[in-house]
Amino acid sequence: MEYLIHLAILFSIFAILAVSLQLLVGYTGLLSVAHAAFYGIGAYVVALTLSNTGFGFFPALLMGILISAAAAFLIGLVLSKFRDDYYALGSLGFNVIVFSIFLNWQEVTRGPLGIPGIDRPQLFGFVFSENIAFLILALVFLLIIYGIGKFITESSFGRALQAIREDEQALSVFGYRTSWFKLAIFVVSAAMASVAGGLFASYITFIDPSSFTIVESIFMLSLIILGGLGTLRGAILGALVLILLPEALRFVGFTPDIAAQMRQVIYGLMLVLLMLYRPQGLVGKYKL
Amino acid sequence: MDIVPQLIVNSLIAGSLYALVAMSFNLIFGATKFFNLSHGVLAAVGGYTAFFLGTTLGAPVSVAVAGAVIAAAAIGYGFEFFIFRPLRKRKASNLVLLVASLGAFTAVEAIIAILFTSQFRTLSSLTGTPGVVHLGTGVMTYVQVVILASAVAILILLWLVLTRTSFGKAVRAVSDDEEVAKIVGINTNKIIGIVFIVGSAIAGLAGVFAGMDTGIEPRMGFVLLLKGVIAAIVGGIGSVYGGFLGAFLLGFAENFGIWYISGEWKDAIAFAILIIFLLVRPQGILGKKKT
Repeated sequence: MEYLIHLAILFSIFAILAVSLQLLVGYTGLLSVAHAAFYGIGAYVVALTLSNTGFGFFPALLMGILISAAAAFLIGLVLSKFRDDYYALGSLGFNVIVFSIFLNWQEVTRGPLGIPGIDRPQLFGFVFSENIAFLILALVFLLIIYGIGKFITESSFGRALQAIREDEQALSVFGYRTSWFKLAIFVVSAAMASVAGGLFASYITFIDPSSFTIVESIFMLSLIILGGLGTLRGAILGALVLILLPEALRFVGFTPDIAAQMRQVIYGLMLVLLMLYRPQGLVGKYKL
Repeated sequence: MDIVPQLIVNSLIAGSLYALVAMSFNLIFGATKFFNLSHGVLAAVGGYTAFFLGTTLGAPVSVAVAGAVIAAAAIGYGFEFFIFRPLRKRKASNLVLLVASLGAFTAVEAIIAILFTSQFRTLSSLTGTPGVVHLGTGVMTYVQVVILASAVAILILLWLVLTRTSFGKAVRAVSDDEEVAKIVGINTNKIIGIVFIVGSAIAGLAGVFAGMDTGIEPRMGFVLLLKGVIAAIVGGIGSVYGGFLGAFLLGFAENFGIWYISGEWKDAIAFAILIIFLLVRPQGILGKKKT
């Protein structure tokens, strides 16, 4: 039971990441490989705030969201000038830069040693120390993020995003400042990812840079490509399948190290096979 | 100032390794026009094949190196034949090709880690303890001399093949416009296939060299790929010569950058250079402006 709750919490965290990345990749057509960077910024800001100040989880999370959004604003200013494969490449570069800050700014992040002993969230004296309570908290956040995602995609702003995906040039002819739209959704998506990061940090109670590498960004990308681009449902479905599927490997009896590598083999192969045979994913509305 | 000669040597070695990856990356990019991120893992394939043949089986250096190059070429061709060619046939977008190559990369890297563990290893059983050449206050091992010489030799070879042979002409035709090349009777799939074999073999060689110079780990392909791609873009995407130039620029920038910033920021410096180039001169130094 405890194990199922653990999986459900992981699912909630990755579903938040998938929904937020879906807004960027699936709706706006911007292939970002930098999502783990903002996930990491959220995690680090929450962890550092909880360990070094008297603030609780929720103010810390707010701080994480703000800092992540600010970083996304600066990075997005540059990225929004690109499109297609150059966008992917540029975002990859930013992920590497942010990762090397986590790794090398040792006075603050403790580098590869990571930050241990992060507190669980507290609300009005109630501590979310039981996993079941934490699961409810994570699900509430997922619902909120999903709701915001739904609101965005159904608004006129969301329709403009989809128009950028289909034909950016045509939209700019109609007088839309497309780079502003690309920047805005990038910031929103990054802010959402930092929520997932904050939850992750306080759930696991330990973070180190290895959770926020390019490989993790690619994993998030494979969640939504498997589920299907251009639908929020697809993001949820992809997270569900890809969190549960590799768990089966544990029961086959692989050691944890091998199981982690096997997980990487599976989603790598899956990306190749999806591109070859089903580029729209399980329930997708849009192909790359 | 005593460290300047050593910094120059370090820049040249880094530049040579990046040049091998960047030239071969650009060779393939020129013919296919997509960012083939699976290219990097071929360096790891090369490094680990050399390790397996040389250290585990005890084969002589020549056999180990040849085996590594052949293995990388075979797997690179496998990627082309089973993944990229079917996608091209379906007129898949560049992003689909990029994601597929990313998937291939991730899967093969993890397979290597499963087979050989993620531990850092050296190829010292192949090289022994190499002798050194003294250049002022700088020191260069024989292995490093070979690396530098190979990078230059491969540049010259590629230049000769591309400009002096009918195959090279065909490659340039495909690079200019695949459709038109097809119309005038060039078997473009065959040309692209050969380009993949040659490019992958060079990447495999880069992996062996990187392993001999420092060591191998499954992630090595990723590091080389990133630097190779940055060098390729800085020099001029799709241009073999541009890749060579960009690689040495990057090598010098990284190694002299540590005058101002400490060494562990090398990767960040490299990417900062990439982003500056993408903004200011996206076609690179030798690239042609897109019309």
